[in-house]
This record gives sequence, C-alpha cells and structure tokens, in this order.
Amino acid sequence: MPKASFDGLALKELVEAGLAWLRTNQQTVNALNVFPVPDGDTGTNMLLTMQSAYAEIANSGQRNAGQMAAAVAQGALMGARGNSGVILSQLWRGFARGLHGHETIDAATLAHAFAEARDTAYKGVVRPVEGTILTVSKDIAAAAQTATTDDPVEMLRIIVAAADKSVENTPELLPILKQAGVVDSGGKGLFFILEGMLRQIDGQSLDAPLISVQPLSAMNLENALEDVEAGQDWEVVVDFRPKNGFELRSFYEQLESMGTSIQVGEGEGMYRMHIHVPLENRYKPIEYVMELGTITKVAIENLLAQMDELQAGTGAPTLELTNVEAGQIAVVAVSPGTGLSRIFASLGVSALVAGGQTMNPSTKDFLDAFDNLPTDKIIILPNNKNIILAANQAKGVTVKQVYVVPSKTIPQGLAAMLHFDPESDVEKVAGKMSRALDSIITGEITVATRSVEIDGVTVREGQVIGLLNGKLAVAAETVEAACLQLLEKAEAVTYELITLFYGSDLSPAEANRIADLLQKKYPEQEVEVQEGGQPHYQFIISIE
Amino acid sequence: MGQEKTTLGSIHISPTAVASIAYHATLQSYGVVGLAPKNLAEGIAVTITREPTRGVNVHFDGDQLDIDIYIVVEFGTRIASVAQSVSNTIRYQVEKIIGLKVHQVNVHVQGLRVSNPD
Repeated sequence: MPKASFDGLALKELVEAGLAWLRTNQQTVNALNVFPVPDGDTGTNMLLTMQSAYAEIANSGQRNAGQMAAAVAQGALMGARGNSGVILSQLWRGFARGLHGHETIDAATLAHAFAEARDTAYKGVVRPVEGTILTVSKDIAAAAQTATTDDPVEMLRIIVAAADKSVENTPELLPILKQAGVVDSGGKGLFFILEGMLRQIDGQSLDAPLISVQPLSAMNLENALEDVEAGQDWEVVVDFRPKNGFELRSFYEQLESMGTSIQVGEGEGMYRMHIHVPLENRYKPIEYVMELGTITKVAIENLLAQMDELQAGTGAPTLELTNVEAGQIAVVAVSPGTGLSRIFASLGVSALVAGGQTMNPSTKDFLDAFDNLPTDKIIILPNNKNIILAANQAKGVTVKQVYVVPSKTIPQGLAAMLHFDPESDVEKVAGKMSRALDSIITGEITVATRSVEIDGVTVREGQVIGLLNGKLAVAAETVEAACLQLLEKAEAVTYELITLFYGSDLSPAEANRIADLLQKKYPEQEVEVQEGGQPHYQFIISIE
Repeated sequence: MGQEKTTLGSIHISPTAVASIAYHATLQSYGVVGLAPKNLAEGIAVTITREPTRGVNVHFDGDQLDIDIYIVVEFGTRIASVAQSVSNTIRYQVEKIIGLKVHQVNVHVQGLRVSNPD
C-alpha cells in the first residue's frame, strides 16, 4: 500500500529527483531547440532554474508540504533563466499557491496544485503560443482533474503519462516544430522533471539517459573508434529524414538489438545514426532505417582495417580535452592545427574551434562549442585578431556567461592559459588572462603572397617574411634567415625562452635543424620545438 | 531611415515598421503582459496600450539602430530574465526581418501587473 500523501520532505526528494533526471537528459532537450538563437538552450535554462530551486531547499528540513513548495517556487524565481526558465518558475509559483496551507499532499491537492500552476503560467503572457510547455501544463491539469484515483503516486503516474502524450502532440499545434520534425523542448523538459519524480518513487535509475540524442555538430565519430568491441567491427553511419510518426525510443531499442556504440544525432529535421555491428549484420541497420524515412547518405567501414591504418600511420596520440563540470569555467580556444590543439588541450582547454588566418570560424561554430559544455561560465581565446569579432558576437547571442580574452596570436593564447583556474571567479580569471597577453612576444614566419611595401619593409612575392606581434618586420630568402632576422629584431637576447611551433608545410627534421641553428646563435636562451600543424605558417614563435 | 540603394531604386524602412516588429516580438515574450506608453505625466497610472507604436521608440541616426521599449511585467516573474528575453527576441526578430544590425535594445520596465498576490 503506497503512502496516502506526501509531506514536505517527500516533496523535497521528488524535486531533487526531477532535477537529477532533467540533468541526465539535458542534451536531449537542448537538441530539440528549433529557434536558432533568441533564447539559448532550453535544457540548460530549465536545468539552471531547477538547480536554483533545489538550492533553496537543499538544507531544509521543512515537513510542511505547502511551505516546502513555496521555498521551491522562491528558488525557481530567483534562478529563472530564459523564456522556458521563467515559465517553469511560474508553474512552480502556481503549484505552491495550490498547496498553500496544506501540510501534506494527497491526490486531490496535487490535481488542484497543477490547475493553479496552469492558471498562473497562462497569466504571464499576452499571446500564449500553443504547442509549448504551456500546452503541456494545461493537458496535465486537465488529466489530473478528471482522474478519479485517491492515491497521489497513481495521480503522478497519470500526470506523467499525460505530459508524455501532450509533448508528443506539440508538433500538431506548432507548425515550426512539425517542419523541424521535433517536439517542443520546454514541454519535454517539464516531462523529464515529472518523470524523474516518478522514477524516484519507482526506484529507477536517474543517472543514465534512456536515449541520448545530441546536436549533429556535436557528434564526434572519430572518437568512437576507441571502443571497438570484439566482433563488432563494422561501422555503419546513416543520414536520414524520418517520416512522420518517427519514434526515437523504439528506434533506439531496435538499434540496441543490432549492435553497440550507438550514437544518434539530430539537426534541422535530419538524423544521423552511428552504430558498430558484426560483419553479418552490416546491412541490417540500413534496411531498418529505410523503413523509417528517406536515407540521404550511407557509410560503411571496416573498423579493424581503419584501426590498423591509424596505428601504422602517424601514431598521433588522440586529443584529450579537459572535462569540465557544471559551475566550473570552461575555455574555448581557436586552434589552426592539430599540434597546437593538443598543446591547448594539455593546458586545460575544454573545447576547440578550428580556425586561423585564412579560415575564420563563424559565430555559430562558437555557439555549437558552448552547446556541448555542461557549464555556463565560458572564456574564449580567439587567438587571431580577425576572430575576436566572431567571438564577441557569439558572446552577445548566448545566455551563457561568456568572457572573451582578446588573444591576437597563438602564443598569446598559450600565455593566457597559464593563468587559467577553472574553480575561481570567472571575471577575475578572464582579467588575469587578459593581462597575461602582453607578457609574450609573437613571431610568425610565412611566405609572401604578393609584392608589397609595408612599415618600411619591401617584400617580393614568394619571399619568406617574418611578422613581429602581427606587424611585418623582416623579409628574407630562406626560412632560417627570416627566423634569425626576426629574433634579432625582437631582441631575443634579452629573453629566456624561445618556442618554435612548426607548421604543416615543414618537416620535423627541417624544424629541428633550424632550431639547432637558432640555439647556436642564442646559447643563453632555451630553444624549444613543438609540432604546431598550422597551415601557411612555417613557424609560429613565442618569445618570453 | 534604413535606406538601401539598389540599381532599381531605393528601399526605405520606416521606424513604424521596426516598432511594429518589436511590438509583436515583445508580446510573444513570456512574462510581458503589455506595453506602456512612454512619457507618461507623473501621477498617472501606467496603462497598457494596444497600439503597436506606443510604448516603442525607434531611433536611427543613419548608422546605428537603437530601440527603446516600455513594458509591463507580470508580478512574480524574474524581471531581469524577462527583460533579457525581450531584448534577445527583439534583436533577433528585427535583424532577421529587416536585415539591419541593431545597436542597442533598451528595455524599460514601466510597471508590474499583479494578477495573483501571493
């Protein structure tokens, strides 16, 4: 016989479960975003709102359910973020009003509280848009009011079922959802909160998402290579546009029966499915997906062969980015080459955006990088003066708290990273990193693409040129001559460490030869060589 | 304002058009229960207007587009979040529809409406 009512402490436990389940499924909710920018990521916003709500009651021993609900509402209000967060806080406010004066919650009070939640939420907007979280709150309240049970657990079960059904119906009410082939993200977030509560009561896990869907941009299929299981040595990747009535959950279950390493990505009405299967099953996923929609692209690869190639090849270690947790600061750095990416990663960077002199990343590239970080405190290192603008634009359109440390060169970015501390206050850290930028001198060696005269230096097309802190400084016939002249101009004798990052145009042997030459010329200084991997620039040199 | 010259002639976008977009974008933002006319004489209660251009002030100096919006917010919502949403939505909608970069959106919360005193 289940309990006939919940008290304040039971409610607290349910709120915590709702929060945990929403956190687990945060990326699923984020992936449902159809509106490109205005309000950031629904999942993240709702999660931050719920976190604040729970923080308010985390240390509370309140047994009175009405007062507990009031505290939750207060916390949600203070932490409300974005449209979906504000609506969620209003739902809590109405819910708390419905419970006002009730010491415990029985089935009837629960139904009444959800009706109040709906009424309060609808009052907060002049033109309610149907097919959103508002509609879901309305359908929940309706289902609760017609339910006849007097068991609050049974009532919650009815409510969760109603929420699920309502969310699935949102595309019928809001055309933009139907076009994108998704359900409403805010409604789905609310569903996860409620479902988390029910899972807690049923003793089910709150850690593992049932299905994980990520934005297409976030799919990193290269990394999936590492966990090839014996026998599952064929990789199948299928892009497709699902027909109406596509059911993610049963899709996932079917895939699980075929193979391992399942990843599903979603974006703009299109899905990408990735799976590892045994040889004899390699056409099965394709045949299965064919029933579900229109296939746009198929790729099948033999993983074992791929692995051999990888091992026989460069043997390059894989990139290990620093993991970041909610509340910590994450650094997003722009890197023009694999070697530099690895160096940034080793210094604590959590996300990398590819880009450099001739390949400026877009604002969207930054936003995608933000998307995949579980924290809302972010520092960007643009590492190029032409990219600072895009970084600042990205800062303007996200709800996350973003600071741009205006590093104009790679060495400046590296210097800034040395002052990074993920646990400290984000504004202070950004300030410290910005101040570190001028502590370093940057040299760049490249080939002139045209004849020109700037800053008193005459350059012929095809000559090797050296730039000092972004300004043309020297021109020479060979790379080593340019390096020597550049270091002289930079008064390298007065510094201690010279680091050379060699680009993709230069062989390691050649880079080492030049480094030895420089070391002879500057015996007092330490000369280091690192693989940079950047295109166009033979060397990026940091002098400190 | 908002002139663009093409080989076939020029395009003018009036401030009223921009104001109208901002008005509709605002009313769809959660937490906003209405717009309140600006320049209210002191002492007169804040009233909600239904006219698109009242409560919105568009300023274009040939280079920068600034929008001021005067809103009434539902009591009990987090005002900073609502204002932030309004600002984001207006900027997004205006830039998408008109194609002009918005320099500033200033959100003025003129009043709160209390539907349910707690």
